[in-house]
Order: sequence, then C-alpha cells, then structure tokens
Amino acid sequence: MSDIIFGVPRPRINSSMMSRYINKVVCFVGRVERVHPTGTAFAVTDGEGQHVLVELNFSLDEELSGVVEVIGTVSYRGTIMAITFQWLPEENGNNFNLELYNEAVKFIHRFPEHYPFNMAAGGSDFF
Amino acid sequence: MRAALNRARARALQEGPDLFAFRSRRRCCRFQTWIRDARSREMWNQGYNESSMTGGYTQSPGGFASPSLSQGEKKGRSRVSQIIPCTVSQLMSATQSDEAFKVGEVEVSQVTLIGIIRNTDKSMTNIQYKVDDMTCAPMDVKQWVDTEEPSVDGSVLPPGTYVKVSGNLRSFQNHRSVVAFSVKPLDDFDQITSHMLEVVQAHRGLGKLQTSAGFGTSEHTSSAPPRGPSGAADSSYAGARDVANNGLSATQNQVLSLIRGCPDPQGIGLHDLKARLSNLSMVAIKQVVEFLSNEGHIFSTIDEDHYKSTDCDL
Repeated sequence: MSDIIFGVPRPRINSSMMSRYINKVVCFVGRVERVHPTGTAFAVTDGEGQHVLVELNFSLDEELSGVVEVIGTVSYRGTIMAITFQWLPEENGNNFNLELYNEAVKFIHRFPEHYPFNMAAGGSDFF
Repeated sequence: MRAALNRARARALQEGPDLFAFRSRRRCCRFQTWIRDARSREMWNQGYNESSMTGGYTQSPGGFASPSLSQGEKKGRSRVSQIIPCTVSQLMSATQSDEAFKVGEVEVSQVTLIGIIRNTDKSMTNIQYKVDDMTCAPMDVKQWVDTEEPSVDGSVLPPGTYVKVSGNLRSFQNHRSVVAFSVKPLDDFDQITSHMLEVVQAHRGLGKLQTSAGFGTSEHTSSAPPRGPSGAADSSYAGARDVANNGLSATQNQVLSLIRGCPDPQGIGLHDLKARLSNLSMVAIKQVVEFLSNEGHIFSTIDEDHYKSTDCDL
C-alpha cells in the first residue's frame, strides 16, 4: 500500500495553491490548531496564515499538536483527505518556522525546473 | 598552515548552528544574506564533517567554487569535488554518461538529500534505507556498516525519521542509489526549508555558470589578477570567473581575487595587498580579510598577516 502512495510525486504546496491541485496528492505542512472531538479531523494553519481542514479516514487515538506534514488528496471542498501524516516535533525550543517554509514553497514553485516534482527532466509541465 | 586551516574550519563549524538563529532578528534582511551564504556554509559543514568521518576521504575545501575550475581542465577525467543539494527526482532523472551524472548542465556526484525514511533494512554489511523527499518514489540509500568500528554508523534509524543524507550517486544495472557516508536525523526541521532553497540555488547558479563557461572568457580576463609564473594560472583564472556569482561585494571580490592569484606558497601579505589596493585603507583591507576568513574563503598561513585562498590546492 505504501508503495502506491509514496511512488507518486507529492508537491509541497500552501493553502493558496490548493485550488490547482484538486484530486491530486500533495504534501502540506501546517500547525495544528484544534482537533475535532471525534478525532477524525483536525484544523491546521499554514505559513500563509490560512486555516485548512485535514480529514482522516481513521480516528486519532492520542493528542496532536505542533507542526505536521500531511500527505493527502485535495478535495473539492478545499479540505485535505489525509493518507498519512508526519509529526515534526519541536524540541529544545527549535520552533519550526512556518512562514519561512511557506516562502521556500513559493520559491520552488517559481523554479519548477530546479525543484521538479516528477521524474522527467525539466518538470515544468507538472505545474 | 594546516593548523590555521583547521582553525578556520572549526570557526566555520561553530557558526553552523547560527544559521537559524535569525528568527528573532529582522528576518527579511537576514533571509537574503542567508540564501547567499547557505551555499558556502553548507560546503564548510559538509566538507569538514564528512572528511573527518570517513577518514580516507578528502574533500577539497574549495567545494562549491570549483565547478568552473574543473570545466577548464576537462581533458583529464577531473573528479567533481562539489557537494550538490538535490531532490530525489533530480537524481532519478539525471542523465548518465560513463561514470558521470548530470542534472541539466550540473554534474552531480556527491549529493545531499533531505527526506523521511520509509523503509529500513539491515544486513551484516550494510543498512538500506528508502528515503522519501516527496518529489517522486523514495530513493534507495545504502550505508556500509563498519564492522571494525561499531560506532554511531552501526545504529539503524527507524522508518518515520526525517534525515539528511550525504553520499555518492551510483547506478548499478540501471538501478540508481545513493551510497551514503552520513545519514543523520534532523534535529531542526528548518533544514527541510533550507534544503529546498539550496537545491534551487545550487542548480540555478551552477547551471548558469557551466552553460556560460564557453563564452565570456574575454570579459573576465580583464578582472583576472596578475599571476606569477607558476602553474597557478588556470586556477586563478577560473577563480576570477566564479567571483561574479559568489555574492560578495566588489571590494571583497577584489581582495579575494588578489589572494587567489598569489602563487606564493605562504600566501599574500597584508602589505602586498595594500600596495595593490592603493584606494583602500589598511583598516578597510583588514576588515575585508577578516570577513573573508570568517566566511571560509581564505585562511591565514605563516602568521596573521599572510593569507591564502581555500580554493587553491594546498
């Protein structure tokens, strides 16, 4: 199963790029704001300061806070249907700089030929 | 001389963690400088760590600055000495001729990757990781286990760990992999951000440098420093060429060119610099020299008044 998910490119995007990636698998980094009481969804804020809802097809069995890197599909409703997510622990006061990450995301999208999210040389077609 | 170089390296290493200390300061301004400096810092940290870790492996301290140099000496099979930050997608789509890989115009051999370990497989002699940076399918990363010295390298990192990989790109029976000399867990996730920026910066900068290498020889000749009768001709010339891309000020470049151009084994003295740069005061020259030394471009030799460029062979 994991090979299917991880075998495809998952472009790193921010909330303002989501409309261009509907039905596509993306990588989205944000800070968890609150978890839905059912444990099947949580809201994150990205480096643009926008709230995005992340929906899960399973229920969280423990608390979740801090920065997460979500891999999932962008839905028509503007939410992310998570396939998996990775918690980025902030230890020793090493707070992850989401704003800077957001700048880098915008930066790599300006130069898709130098940060391709596919295997073809050049890679600009993907965007 | 070696002691001085080690001192410079130690200084560069100490400054490494400072890279991300700018959050609290004025971000925009630092951000610019940081993008500019990231490449040289990266080169220092990498060069130092890895050469010390693997013993026999020596990294030219010139690292990132040398592609233009190898360009000029292509006849003999020159070993690529720079470490290029890459995405997995770039490594998988790199073109191969003989032993050399190219991403666009940039020759890649030693690379760094940042990604999550998706799979771990340990055998007696090596550890195989699948490292995923989201740009395409995970990359096979192989790390040989030194049975003689079961130190840090022997420990296996579990899936789900974000790591920075440094190693060589290999191809065996059409299968690409990276043979790693270091697989380190990230302790600061801002490294994900910096790696993204470094990838673009390295491939943009080096791509331009290498495609334009055929032209523009004459425009650079004028800026080449006066050089001695030794064999340093090629390197001082090549040094002058990449000067335009290194993000230094005009004055800093001028001083660096002079230091690079000096064929003397003990380097150039401050008084010689002053004599060549009559428009600059001694204080200004000393400031520039100190800056260049802190940034790792030059190092002091016989005393604190003589400097040599880290780009030259020792």
